[in-house]
Amino acid sequence: MAAPILRIENVSKRYGKKDVLKGASLDVNKGDLKILIGPSGAGKSTLLQCINFLVKPDEGRIWLDGQEVRYAHKRDLYAYRQKVGMIFQDFNLFDHLNALENVRIGMVKVRGMGKAEAGERAVMELERVGLKDHMQKYPAQLSGGQKQRVSIARALAMDPRVMLLDEPTSALDPELIGEVHAVIRDLGNNGMTMIMATHQISFASSLASEIIFMEDGRILERGTPDNIFNHAENARTREFCSKITELYGER
Amino acid sequence: MPESLIAIGDALPYLLRGSLVTLVVVVGAMGLGLVLGVPLAVGQVYGHPALRRVIAVYVWFFRGIPLLVLLFLFYFGLCTALDINLSAFTVAIIVLGLISSAYQSQIFRGAILSLPEGQFKAARALGMSDLKAISAIILPQALRLSIPGWSNEYSILLKDSAVTYALGVAEIMARAHFVATRTYQQLPLYFAAGVIFLILTWVGTKGLRLLEEKVRIPGYSTHGL
Repeated sequence: MAAPILRIENVSKRYGKKDVLKGASLDVNKGDLKILIGPSGAGKSTLLQCINFLVKPDEGRIWLDGQEVRYAHKRDLYAYRQKVGMIFQDFNLFDHLNALENVRIGMVKVRGMGKAEAGERAVMELERVGLKDHMQKYPAQLSGGQKQRVSIARALAMDPRVMLLDEPTSALDPELIGEVHAVIRDLGNNGMTMIMATHQISFASSLASEIIFMEDGRILERGTPDNIFNHAENARTREFCSKITELYGER
Repeated sequence: MPESLIAIGDALPYLLRGSLVTLVVVVGAMGLGLVLGVPLAVGQVYGHPALRRVIAVYVWFFRGIPLLVLLFLFYFGLCTALDINLSAFTVAIIVLGLISSAYQSQIFRGAILSLPEGQFKAARALGMSDLKAISAIILPQALRLSIPGWSNEYSILLKDSAVTYALGVAEIMARAHFVATRTYQQLPLYFAAGVIFLILTWVGTKGLRLLEEKVRIPGYSTHGL
């Protein structure tokens, strides 16, 4: 078996006296779509943010392409973050820039590309997420689904090796979820490696290579969608899955 | 009555040259305040705790001492003690600018803190250094939000600049006073000085309002809800 593209070992995070993440480990292979599920406060978001060091873990090590990330070295950290795309629940588009400029700015400011070249690439990425006609619009003029697709294009423009998606559809109206899911599905079909926290389990079970159930800062159980959703060993996993199925529909 | 009109008419060119001096002092001080105020605000929000404390003391110092005291302290005190040869005009710009930087830093700090946390996070997630994220993402938004507060700062500075007459800066107030005491036409001359200040306030705040509209981010209103 090939070496994992991303290796996370024993990552922990403490806020004051509260352990929000208690030693999470994860191997992600090329093309994997790992889905994190679990109640809020389980540590899903903290784990994702620890993976690109937006939250500095107290313990743990991370390797990308077999190289350990030396996150104390700023240059290494910035280079690593370019290779790890991040999608946020509330989009976090840059409000003063239009869609095109949002996608372009990372290439210009971080990768040092020229504006024209970066602009061409940005148009391409916006086309890929179906928003070429909206590239002059500002975030305040876009719908939630469109904003999230711009943010995906912004991440893709950096040529990430891995994408982290933190509940990308949780802030969206139900009828807008589909368009974002379509883009993510497309990414998966093209071999993008992803770790995604979500409550959309019908989407998760149709695409995930592995479901990871987290609770109380720990990974409690992991397995194929069928294993987790239908034959979970842990009683808490079963309870959570049945609740979430009730809420978010049949799989 | 015609006598007072004549007094104003005679003094007007002299007073208007004074308003030019006033404007240069105010614009210079605002510029200096901007150039110093932005890094002060950034330091206070993102800086090391020790740096934040130093900046807090700086802000406390320049906001806490009356303008007249600072003007005398710098001009008659420091310049004499250190044997620095600066004109009253230059000292006026520097002192008003330092004071303004303290006030402006708090305008910018408030604007930076009002931005959603996710803006900085998303910038860092793209691989930007803190400095790049601040200059490319945070400041362009924060400075836009600072314009209404800045308009306040302009009108306060404009009026404060009259105090520099105490150093002998030949601005509006100094000239009005000079003519008034010579011609005994106090009422018309101080009235004229007041009107010039009113006009300058109006022009400046109107200009900043136009700037605010010009740099407005599409999809946002500057006219209230």
